[in-house]
Amino acid sequence: MADDRPIARDARDDELRASAGDGQGLGLRLSFRTRLTIGLVAASLIPLAAFGAILLIVDPPAQAGTLGRLLLFVLVVAAMVAILLAYLLATDLTAPLRAIAAAVARTSAGDLSTPIIVPGDDELARLADSHNRLAADLERRNRELRRILEAIERGSPRESPDFIAGRAAHDAKDAFGMIDAVVLLVDPREVPITERVPGESLPIRAILRIGGEQIGVLVGRLSATRVWERADQDLLELYASEVAVAIRNAELFAQVEAQNSQLLELDAAKDDFLRGVSHNLQTPLTSIRAYADQLGRDRPDRRLGIIGEQTDRLSRMVRQLLTVTRLESGALKPRSEVVALSHPVRRAWEALAAEGVPFKVDDGSAGWLAVADVDQLDQVLWALLDNAVKYGERSPIHVEIAPVPDQGRLRLTISDLGPGVAESDRNRLFRRFERGIERTANDGSGLGLYVSRELCRTMDGDLVLEQPLAGRGATFSIFLPGEPPEDASASG
Amino acid sequence: MLSGRSGGQGAPPRILIVDDDPNLLVLLADQLRADGFDTQTARDGDEALRRLKSGWPDLLIIDMMMPRMDGLTLAREIKGRADLPIIVLSAIDAGDSKADLLEEVAEDYVTKPYHYPELRARINRILRRLGDKVPRQSLVLGPDLTLDLHRREATVGQDVVQLTPTESRLLYALAANLGQTVTTETLLARGWAETEDADASYVWVTMRRLRQKVEADPNRPVHLQTVRGVGYRLVVSAGPEATTEGEAGDG
Repeated sequence: MADDRPIARDARDDELRASAGDGQGLGLRLSFRTRLTIGLVAASLIPLAAFGAILLIVDPPAQAGTLGRLLLFVLVVAAMVAILLAYLLATDLTAPLRAIAAAVARTSAGDLSTPIIVPGDDELARLADSHNRLAADLERRNRELRRILEAIERGSPRESPDFIAGRAAHDAKDAFGMIDAVVLLVDPREVPITERVPGESLPIRAILRIGGEQIGVLVGRLSATRVWERADQDLLELYASEVAVAIRNAELFAQVEAQNSQLLELDAAKDDFLRGVSHNLQTPLTSIRAYADQLGRDRPDRRLGIIGEQTDRLSRMVRQLLTVTRLESGALKPRSEVVALSHPVRRAWEALAAEGVPFKVDDGSAGWLAVADVDQLDQVLWALLDNAVKYGERSPIHVEIAPVPDQGRLRLTISDLGPGVAESDRNRLFRRFERGIERTANDGSGLGLYVSRELCRTMDGDLVLEQPLAGRGATFSIFLPGEPPEDASASG
Repeated sequence: MLSGRSGGQGAPPRILIVDDDPNLLVLLADQLRADGFDTQTARDGDEALRRLKSGWPDLLIIDMMMPRMDGLTLAREIKGRADLPIIVLSAIDAGDSKADLLEEVAEDYVTKPYHYPELRARINRILRRLGDKVPRQSLVLGPDLTLDLHRREATVGQDVVQLTPTESRLLYALAANLGQTVTTETLLARGWAETEDADASYVWVTMRRLRQKVEADPNRPVHLQTVRGVGYRLVVSAGPEATTEGEAGDG
């Protein structure tokens, strides 16, 4: 029995060498074909080797030279023939196995369309057959899954829930090959479960779930011959939950849309309302102001001047309120033009008609022009100068204009020498409806500084309260984008 | 100096005022008549449209808020019949959401309460501009620049650039004299008619800003050329090679 071992070892060594040559490592795993070959060779050579051994033991050793050589020769020839035959036989026997292995490898790589053909009705043929069925199942489910994914991707939250439900039923019917299908957006308990009757169409059902909530049910029928397995049901339920999410999204989207359009309507209504209020207030003011002007021209009278000024003030306050609402809705679009700041400062001062208050403008703009919306700038300057008069306790008001060339901006400061702004008020001052606590005057809306700062910012500028020098007075600085003067010699 | 449609030389420009407030109507008509305008009044849109049948005014002043037909609708209605210049008088201002709509149909608008000298300045500016004869349509100045002044837009290459009211007024004056030099004084009068504050530096700086908006290379302007010491001119350019010729003309 021990005689087969060298041969077997040789064969193993061959195989080992072969696998080492293939670079597959040095493990002792041998392919099924190799083992079959070895077995067949061993089976054919063991009787021959045994026969030779017995002959050598029985016969005298003198003749052993010739007989031994003969035996060795026969053994070698028999071995070669056996190896060849064994190899061919093993190859033939293992061919279907290798085909199946290759097919499984293909399948796992994603190719499901090539079936394995193994003729006959043996175990291997049955194995191949069940592999083919598995691959076909996989392929069908893949197809279903692909259709489902396509259906899910096609959805948009802008569609109505009913539309999505209708299309989902249609898609499910296509994807799963159903006879009919419908998605009902009702409590699933209200939809009775159809019992399966052998020979008739197969009822199927999947609940549309989101978390623990059931928002509907997908019901349909398959042909009686159709195989419906656990995996198919899982896929259908997965699909149903995707549909549920799509429907919920659509519901939420519709809700947000509705709220949005409601807000827009409200906004438009508010705009209309304010426009109406403004119109109704400004129209009589227009008449008052114009008639006062006309009368004043015919017969100059200080009282008519006061009527005109106060009308202006009232009309400005109406505008300020409108500006606040526009700032909040972000509807304010400044039309910035170039302007030499000293002009609007002087005009705003004249409009205030603050008699008896010393006023001085130091124009150091050196030809720089501000880029600002003249209307908005007028509102800002008027509000700041009005504050300076009101809270400066009739102290002199000083305006300085100077460029900040490295920032490409102009700075305009308005200072009074009144009591100034209390430290505790500095932060609150620019909020809506806030006045300094120390500031007791109760005329004014409390909107002036808030509106002014916001207006400056819409013009890409800013408004800040400066630290008081010498502890007296309030100084506000307006910053606005500026344009350096054009070289006059190169201008038109 | 005023180009009138209602009469020959010397006939005062006729203005139709449409407002539902009778006080304002009488007052404004008085003020305008005192300044030598021929005025007509209408209490609402229907009356205004009836009056148009008997003759076209040179300019209309329309109140924005009126019962039945609002100013915007009336302005559209009128523009559909004839390209008459319109000033809208309203309590809304530039910040209002309707201001943009207004600008599409009206030449200008004045906020209530109006300041009469400013209103008069705007009327005069528009009447002067009537002589400019710039059509309300696209003005193609070259492959890279198209002006839509009635929309206050310029198309520079592929981009649409918004123009400010003053910028478009200056371009109006330049476009009316395409290729010819317009003096700085004229531009100043057109661009800043309602204010005494402006001086030549306003024109220079605004032209510089305009170049930055509409010229491919503001330092080598193709369309907006400086005529040194005199004024500016707007030039149609076939392509970039026209640059050198234009600059040679500057000296």
